[in-house]
Amino acid sequence: MKNRLWKKIMAGSLAAAMMVSLTACGGGESTGSAGGSSETEAAQTGAETATSERETVTVRMGRQTLQNAKLPDGDTYEDNAYTRMAEKELNIDIVDEFEANGEDYDRQVSLALSAGDIPDIMKVGSLDELEELYENDLIADLTNVYETYASDNLKAIYDSYGGRALANVTYDDKIMAIPATNADSGPSIVWVRSDWMDSLGMKVDEDGDSCITIEELETIAKTFMEKNPGGADNVVGIALASWITSGDPDGTYTMNSVAYALNAFPKTWYERDGQLIYGSTTEEMKEALAVAARWFDEGLLDPQVGTRTWDDITALLANGQTGVTFGTWHIPDWLLNNIYAMDNNARFAAYAVETADGKVNCKHNDATAGYMVVSKQFEHPEIVVELANLFYDRLANDPSLLETYPEVAEYQKQGVDGSTRPMNVEINSYNSLLEGFGQLQACLNGEITVDEVKSTEEKSNYEGITAYLEGSGDATGWAKYHSRLGGVGLIQKLTDDDTFEWLTPVFPRTTSTMETNWANLEKLEEETFIKIVTGVLDVEEGFNQYVSDWKSQGGDTIIAEITEQMH
Amino acid sequence: MSENRKNRRQKAKRKSEVFYHLMMFPGLFFLILFSYVPMVGILMAFQDFVPAKGLFGSEFVGLKHFIYMFHLPDIAKIIRNTVVIALGKILIGTFMAIAFSILLNEIRRQFFKKTVQTVVYLPHFLSWVVLAAVVVNLFSLDGSVNQILSVFGLGPVNFMGNSKVFPGLIIGTDVWKEFGYNSVVYLAAITGIDAGLHEAAAIDGATWWQRVLHVTLPGMMPIILLMGAMSLTSILSAGFDQIYNLYSPIVYETGDVLDTYVYRIGLVGRQYSFGSAVGLCRSIVGMALLLGANGLTKKLTDQKIF
Repeated sequence: MKNRLWKKIMAGSLAAAMMVSLTACGGGESTGSAGGSSETEAAQTGAETATSERETVTVRMGRQTLQNAKLPDGDTYEDNAYTRMAEKELNIDIVDEFEANGEDYDRQVSLALSAGDIPDIMKVGSLDELEELYENDLIADLTNVYETYASDNLKAIYDSYGGRALANVTYDDKIMAIPATNADSGPSIVWVRSDWMDSLGMKVDEDGDSCITIEELETIAKTFMEKNPGGADNVVGIALASWITSGDPDGTYTMNSVAYALNAFPKTWYERDGQLIYGSTTEEMKEALAVAARWFDEGLLDPQVGTRTWDDITALLANGQTGVTFGTWHIPDWLLNNIYAMDNNARFAAYAVETADGKVNCKHNDATAGYMVVSKQFEHPEIVVELANLFYDRLANDPSLLETYPEVAEYQKQGVDGSTRPMNVEINSYNSLLEGFGQLQACLNGEITVDEVKSTEEKSNYEGITAYLEGSGDATGWAKYHSRLGGVGLIQKLTDDDTFEWLTPVFPRTTSTMETNWANLEKLEEETFIKIVTGVLDVEEGFNQYVSDWKSQGGDTIIAEITEQMH
Repeated sequence: MSENRKNRRQKAKRKSEVFYHLMMFPGLFFLILFSYVPMVGILMAFQDFVPAKGLFGSEFVGLKHFIYMFHLPDIAKIIRNTVVIALGKILIGTFMAIAFSILLNEIRRQFFKKTVQTVVYLPHFLSWVVLAAVVVNLFSLDGSVNQILSVFGLGPVNFMGNSKVFPGLIIGTDVWKEFGYNSVVYLAAITGIDAGLHEAAAIDGATWWQRVLHVTLPGMMPIILLMGAMSLTSILSAGFDQIYNLYSPIVYETGDVLDTYVYRIGLVGRQYSFGSAVGLCRSIVGMALLLGANGLTKKLTDQKIF
């Protein structure tokens, strides 16, 4: 009756079959020689080929979008200040093959992949997808174009990761993607409505180390529930997303901060006493779930946890139904700003949750996240490197570019989301976050002038924040004030005070057992965790059963496989 | 002479029939293009399908994906969930549609009849993506259903997050959405029943209930059997779009069905061969059930569906 999946598979296979027959008719030899000649051509002419000499190239792209990108009226993802700048600078014409939000984008990529027809340039989210593209021979080798076209600054950025970034995208000594760098993102921060705390005369973090204990967190949430300073209906203490935990240390809407404070590292592979373990199966994880289960039992945790969507939780915050949430340092820019839009009095304080020893656990990220790939059919693979040069070197270091394109400067000032750039990834040096923040802070303290601030982004941050502090009520200034002075400020403080306890995880490639069993193990984990938290399963019994199931359903094999991979 | 004329007439007939057969051709073409050609994709189920290598370049692995499917730890639970939800929808949905059509047929005031008909048809034309939002709003903890329950001192029931009531919610909302539309066929069947039979029964002193039982229902039986047998083919598809838009990990226990499971593992995990293996299994089961039902009805009632 509703065989949608079947139909999709059929459509996919039909498309694939057509592809095969088309390429067969078109003559495999011609595609082969064309690819070869364009490659050698690119290598021969090298960097001297001025962009302007190239005829206008149409670039079909896959674009991952954001719901509220703050684009000015009339501008779209396909046609905005950033794309116009790129089109003019590189003499290209950007056409969006498909645009989709978040997870939908990954689905689009999946479908494009199954049809064997990918856009000229697109971003893929995971190494697994990259590997599949490579194995299916759909993407171009970028080794030559990277060596030839990447600017010195761009190369320096990748070098700051000690080779780890490019190693991730290198297959058989060939660079197959331009990776997004992934510097450490810090902990999952507890964001608390400080305007509510002030109005209730609450005092937290009295020792001033910006860390709170789990008990303090509970007290804050309880007081907010009882006093209801937001004056809302259906008050909720703490809301969590249905996945409860995240593999990213800074996971938004998850209980990572609580888990980490109990020395549990959910969804993380790491070595302990020479033994590889999966963090979601440890005793510490059980304790963390026990805390959440107690919260649920006491009514502190949202009674509808598990069925709330991401947007539901944002709505809870925006409606003033809850005033405590968890997330990465930059959520004021794109998530908490929704709350300011509803309530101009909203202010947030940022805290980290500390362990019993007064430390803050955090883990290092993998060096890359997100990969720009180029279709093998595309004749100008150098464009992807030129885009990277433009956005991550020239735009960051060359002020004259902003004078030529005042609308781009305006975008940065208005805080238009970075995903509107045709290159929707971040390529920054390993220490860029704290370096930039150091300059911003020095500038705010009057130690250096705005002109001495290096990056244009921090300059516009400075302008936004000063405008906000002068009482302009500017929403972007509010967001930057909270994300930089609140979020990054907290990371800086914890770094300065030496409060962080860093874990270096293992980042495995997908093993053969993972390929067949991982989806199932993930389901097992997700289902068990939410059931334990909501009291359907007993913590002790349910968790022990989960661990033994996890091991017998492939977990043990996977551990052995990854251990082998490491040696 | 007469022989000759007969031949000529046959020839003429054949000539005019050629035209009609030609008219069938576009339909046949599309049928072959969209229903038969894609069947080549069944090959995928027996391969380790790699899109770039295509259907004829991928490696054949025999029954690997079928064996894997039946060794999945959750497969029994998922098949049970699928059958429970699908069967619930078929049984309750068919009953509601029949009951509704009989009752609606009794209404004499045309305006009222047409209005009711339109109102109950309407949900059929809304997509589950839209309706899911309505269902979530109605059945969430602070939704109106729980507010009504609280007036009677009941609840609150977390319909969306309680694996005991979730299948009921799925079946109930689907029946609500589809029964009106499904009753169209039954209404037509009732109209086709000879009015004389009703009159005769009434003259013999049959009550309304007796007439329904002994005239209307037997008259509808061929259609009921046909519809029932046809819906059996979907016993292993419990309605992907509905469940996908309403479920969450918390109700996987009773709400995760074959479609959603295959979607998560097969399509999101990009295991196409596994996906088509499951799809093929489902089609085989559906076809076996259809043939079985056909044989059974022929034996029981001497009527064949096809």
